[in-house]
Amino acid sequence: MVVSDRFESRVTSEVSEGGDALVIRVAGNFDFNMHREFQRAYRNVSPPPRTFLVDLSETDHLDSAALGMLLLLRDYCVEVGAEGAQPTVELMNANAHVSHILSVSNFDRIFSIR
Amino acid sequence: MPAFRVLIVESDTSEVTELRQLIQSWEYTGSGDCALPTTIHCAPAATVALASYHEYQPNLVIFGPTAAAGVSAAEIRQLRQSGGVEPVPILFVQDLDAMVSSQSPHTLCDDILTKPYSPPLVQLKLASIRRFCEFSRSLMAQRDRLRRHHADFLQEQANAREIFGNLGNESCLDDTPAIRYHLSPRAVLNGDLLAATYTPDGKLVLMLGDFAGHGLAAAVGAVPLTSIFYSMMPRGFSMSRVAREINRKLYDILPRQMFCCLVMLELDPRRNHLRILNAGMPSPCLKRSAGELHLLESRHLPFGVLSTDQIESAIVNVRVLPGDRLYLWSDGIHEARNGKGEHFGEARLIRLLRDNGNNRGQAFDQILVAVNAHAAEQHDDLSLVELDLSHSSLRKSGCPAADYTGNRKGGRVGDWSISLQLSQEELRAADPLPHVLSVLVQMPGAARFQEDLAIALGELFRNALEHGVLELDSSIKATDDGFVRYYDLMAERRGQLQDGWVRITLSCSEGDTGGELTLIVEDSGSGFPATREPSGVYAGRGLGLLQTVCDEVHYRPGCSRVEAVIRWSGAVAEGDIDEAGGNAMQKPPLPV
Repeated sequence: MVVSDRFESRVTSEVSEGGDALVIRVAGNFDFNMHREFQRAYRNVSPPPRTFLVDLSETDHLDSAALGMLLLLRDYCVEVGAEGAQPTVELMNANAHVSHILSVSNFDRIFSIR
Repeated sequence: MPAFRVLIVESDTSEVTELRQLIQSWEYTGSGDCALPTTIHCAPAATVALASYHEYQPNLVIFGPTAAAGVSAAEIRQLRQSGGVEPVPILFVQDLDAMVSSQSPHTLCDDILTKPYSPPLVQLKLASIRRFCEFSRSLMAQRDRLRRHHADFLQEQANAREIFGNLGNESCLDDTPAIRYHLSPRAVLNGDLLAATYTPDGKLVLMLGDFAGHGLAAAVGAVPLTSIFYSMMPRGFSMSRVAREINRKLYDILPRQMFCCLVMLELDPRRNHLRILNAGMPSPCLKRSAGELHLLESRHLPFGVLSTDQIESAIVNVRVLPGDRLYLWSDGIHEARNGKGEHFGEARLIRLLRDNGNNRGQAFDQILVAVNAHAAEQHDDLSLVELDLSHSSLRKSGCPAADYTGNRKGGRVGDWSISLQLSQEELRAADPLPHVLSVLVQMPGAARFQEDLAIALGELFRNALEHGVLELDSSIKATDDGFVRYYDLMAERRGQLQDGWVRITLSCSEGDTGGELTLIVEDSGSGFPATREPSGVYAGRGLGLLQTVCDEVHYRPGCSRVEAVIRWSGAVAEGDIDEAGGNAMQKPPLPV
């Protein structure tokens, strides 16, 4: 069972050790309320990284609005790619519940998940 | 910014004059750095003040020393009530020299001005009151704006509900006891939708969808979705064709972060065949009469995410057994939370369905009760559908679409013939049915055989394609696994088809006493195998079904040509049964 409290939800981001990836970590409930923070996390990075790593290790639940946000991130990569190298999106460390949601929606077909 | 209105209540005119001068000598500068005017209105007594209150609408009321001493608590209360929600401060003037003897009820007012007046102190007080009034006025303005927006919002919701209600007008959800459903208004506004109709050949098609996104914007997508569904399905387009069209349309119109999870199913009650496409919805649950449960997992991305699709390969085929029931729901049920924040979840649902044993029809109510009990404090946001897959009402009812007025039914069909041949290119994805039917629908009188023709044509075309062109052996279908493998194999061979054709010829002749429609279907295959008669491909359900709707069916081993005849009598539409002759089976009265 999922117990979540959206007031504890937050988005943090940091550049990975190698410097070529941006790790975006969403803690708590990944839903519509996260949308501004999530967008801010990937939009204001210059130059754009080679990879956006969405770290779901602290994500308790993910709803359809969050899936929509991932689609927006994917679209943003295409947009960035028009001017140079196209970044990729990878999802990682999803717990069983979140993995299940990703596989039910078949998002594993359009995002690489590790 | 309007003037600041002060109401002075005082019977002693010299007191009034003094107060008036005091207020007028003061010039207030607002936050916008401009001098703002002050107007003054006088009333000799509280009763007069009450009478003119509404007309004048003061921002501040000052009781002079005489009036303050004489006013009653009831009058002050009435004044405050006249002010409404917006607070209007009431000041009393208190003569310090007369203080000792005064019994004036100080607690009635908000503040006092002491006499003799100290102009700087009075002005300080007035300025602070004025700032306070400005603040409360802006709050009131915001409240009014919110109220208007909220009223608009409620109106929009009401409009939306009406639109969704009307979208459902075309559905056959309420026409058959085989379908039970619950779709809460909140779920609808959150983007859930349910639609069902019949295809021309009597299959039930149903879809349950859930738009991702927030509120009304999400729900708006339901309009193109249902209109595609209700316009294409009754014309006989195949489920995969309609699904493809929906995906493409949604991809074109939806913002990138929006998409639609959808389960679409096609139930052929005559052949006990269920085809189901799950694109991102929670797994529907098939409950066999023996009690075992099968979850039909999502095998496709939600619609509107990609412009391309793999619909054919994502469709699951299920052989329906007597007593099978299918349960469908949207994630509103999974995500219903109790006071502790726990989701209701799929596990509880499955447990309910399993524990329910063989109590037919009770699972539906039990699920609703359990979810509502779980999420007692939450608004009801659930969509649940129960489909009795082998219900007898599904077999009888045909397509109720066309308007069969007596005139049309008795109308002349005429003498004509049409022929069309589909080659390998077309056979990979073709739907011959809609094209043939769209020609026939123009003809007066064609309504009388439309459903029969659709069934016969569908059956013959499928046979020609599956066994003739694709060389599939229906004995594979003998087991449940084989049933699935058969359709997977068919999708695969069809996609790679390099060579083959199917020809459909329709000819109609009509005389004074009646008419007949002859349907001939041929294919490039090797024809009916002689050896397997009578247990061959046509001895099973297919032949029975053909003989139900046609008056004659002819075919020969070693030849791919099948001829089927539908007859009717000229005088009375119902009389066509007796016309059947020779080796043809009698035709049960199908409702037309």
